[in-house]
Amino acid sequence: MSGLPHILLVDDERSIREPLAQYLTKQGFRVTQAGDAEGARARMAAYAIDLVILDIMMPGEDGLSLCRHIRASGDIPVILLTAKSEETDRIVGLEMGADDYVVKPFSPRELATRAKVILRRAASGGSRQHAPESGSYAFGGWVLKTGERALVDREGVSVPLSTGEYNLLLALALRPRQVLTRDQLLDLTQGREAMAFDRAIDNQVSRLRRKIEPDPKNPELIKTVWGGGYTLAAEVTRL
Amino acid sequence: MRLWPRNLPGQMAVLVALALFVAQAINFGFTLHDRQAFRLEQVVGPVSARIVDTAQNPRARDPVIEARLSALRPDESPWDRFRSRPLPQNPMPPGLSRRPDVENGIRRKLNEAGVPTGQVIAAIRPVRPDDPRLDRLPRYRAQRLRMTGTEMLIAIEQPGTGWWVQGVPWDDSSWSILRGLIGQTLVLYAIVLLPVLWATRRIARPLRTLTGAAQRYHPGEADGPIDESGPPDVRTLIAAFNDLRTRVTAMLQEKDRMLGAIGHDLRTPLAALRVRIESVEDDDDRTKMADTIDEMNGTLDDILSLARLGRPSEPLTDVDLAALVDAVVEDFRDLGKPVTFEEAARLKMTLRPSLIRRAVRNLIENAVKYGGSADVSLAATAHAVRITVADNGPGIPPDRVGEVFEAFTRLEVSRNKETGGIGLGLALARAIVREAGGDIDLANRPEGGLAATITLPR
Repeated sequence: MSGLPHILLVDDERSIREPLAQYLTKQGFRVTQAGDAEGARARMAAYAIDLVILDIMMPGEDGLSLCRHIRASGDIPVILLTAKSEETDRIVGLEMGADDYVVKPFSPRELATRAKVILRRAASGGSRQHAPESGSYAFGGWVLKTGERALVDREGVSVPLSTGEYNLLLALALRPRQVLTRDQLLDLTQGREAMAFDRAIDNQVSRLRRKIEPDPKNPELIKTVWGGGYTLAAEVTRL
Repeated sequence: MRLWPRNLPGQMAVLVALALFVAQAINFGFTLHDRQAFRLEQVVGPVSARIVDTAQNPRARDPVIEARLSALRPDESPWDRFRSRPLPQNPMPPGLSRRPDVENGIRRKLNEAGVPTGQVIAAIRPVRPDDPRLDRLPRYRAQRLRMTGTEMLIAIEQPGTGWWVQGVPWDDSSWSILRGLIGQTLVLYAIVLLPVLWATRRIARPLRTLTGAAQRYHPGEADGPIDESGPPDVRTLIAAFNDLRTRVTAMLQEKDRMLGAIGHDLRTPLAALRVRIESVEDDDDRTKMADTIDEMNGTLDDILSLARLGRPSEPLTDVDLAALVDAVVEDFRDLGKPVTFEEAARLKMTLRPSLIRRAVRNLIENAVKYGGSADVSLAATAHAVRITVADNGPGIPPDRVGEVFEAFTRLEVSRNKETGGIGLGLALARAIVREAGGDIDLANRPEGGLAATITLPR
């Protein structure tokens, strides 16, 4: 091992793959490229790969199928590159066991950030079973559906959330009963789309409370921990 | 009242009924004419014959008997019996309606026979059922008179001799013929109309099914082919429709595939460009380039959505519309845009959430872009929900309100890079809202600025 995290970049488009490989290399990754699924399998057999960045739309065997193969044969994390922003693609991708996805055209900077987050997560815990952010989470009478990015109440009525609210709630739901500081929350939620202001966290929390708490003045789900941060005080069941 | 039915069986039935009626009426006319000629002959013939006979053969009968026979009994009117002697003067009561056809007929007959004739008068007199004569007359005559209800009085003047007088039963009405005709027509209706109704219903029913299928037809929604039923012409039509539907569906699928390919082919170079600009050293330049690429990508998204809107992939969902608008507004606020929303009570609606989100977002985007800010409000009535996006910009010249909905139209003539966009957003928003059964109105606010209002049915 060279010590640098080793990324396998699989994309049939040279115009994307080559400059992206160049950029990621500059960002401190070791990058191996493959133009199709077959090449990817060969390189995975030849090297110890830490992370696969995978294009969904490829001629021959497509990215989803390869993703399923990778998931079945080991524990290497996968980030999907998708050309469509359609919900179905995202859901299918996450269900195939991908850890994350970016929609083309994506910012290479953001991709690198996410790759680092995923690698850090894999290195620290390794406790990840499937994609942590896929599926539905039930707590306190609510269901948070990651595929549709929707919060559904007891009557089955969907309550749309803003991007910031969704990211915050997801971060809390993934770590029930853990105290998360504002900095941690900012960090966790900014892995996706950036929020512009720091006031965001407190603001989002109070907005979320208004939406999900029976009595927003005396919150029972999202509790403030004095001097610490916030915590989701409820059992979370993954559906 | 609508007499002319709308559907095919009804129209056919009315048409055939009318045609039958006209045919029967013509038939009636002929029958009536024949009947009248026959009746005339029946009256004119015997009456003339008697007179001719009496006038030409003054047989030397017993004058006493003759006289007795000719004399009127005290309870007898001159019309009750033909007498072999003429009356000295005209006994015709005044005021009766005359029948010139009978008069002419008799005159002609008498002329042919060479009997000199003066006046001939034939007139019709009603016979009331309680007429005392009816009891005296021979039974068959009384019966006929009762049946016809009228009698014809005929008086013929023979110059130098006097007036021959006779009364005959006369059927003056055409009721019996009409009755027969009506009965006949009803039987005809039963025989002809039932098959016509059956046959046309057999055509009309598959046509109705076809109409329903054509009206329901929504590309992309699975709907099995229609059963080919009815007569061959209709079957052919249904087969052609099924065929057409298959072709349209195939074309739309082809369009989707094509759009998908276009999207992919345009996104790939955009993605490549986006990766490459990361090597631009100048932060400012790089950000601007990234913004441009994002904008192009957004436009591409809009084009693809607009083209695909007829077959939305998102299912109808129960959504809190107030939370939906709030979430969209919050996304803008997170980006530091001056957008306000008066919080509204929970409002459950059944719609396609990401499409409606898109429509609301496009309106707010326009308001921010052209008006500098957006004030969003939500109002619900019993039957409709209104989402209003108001800005403080210059508004739109009233005569150009319609134009702004056209895809690719933007009111500014100068394509200012700052303002960006190609006017697709509004067209897409309207298409989305219309697909949901609502509409978008644009109006200049009295206090300045533009108000865009989405109205959705509840």
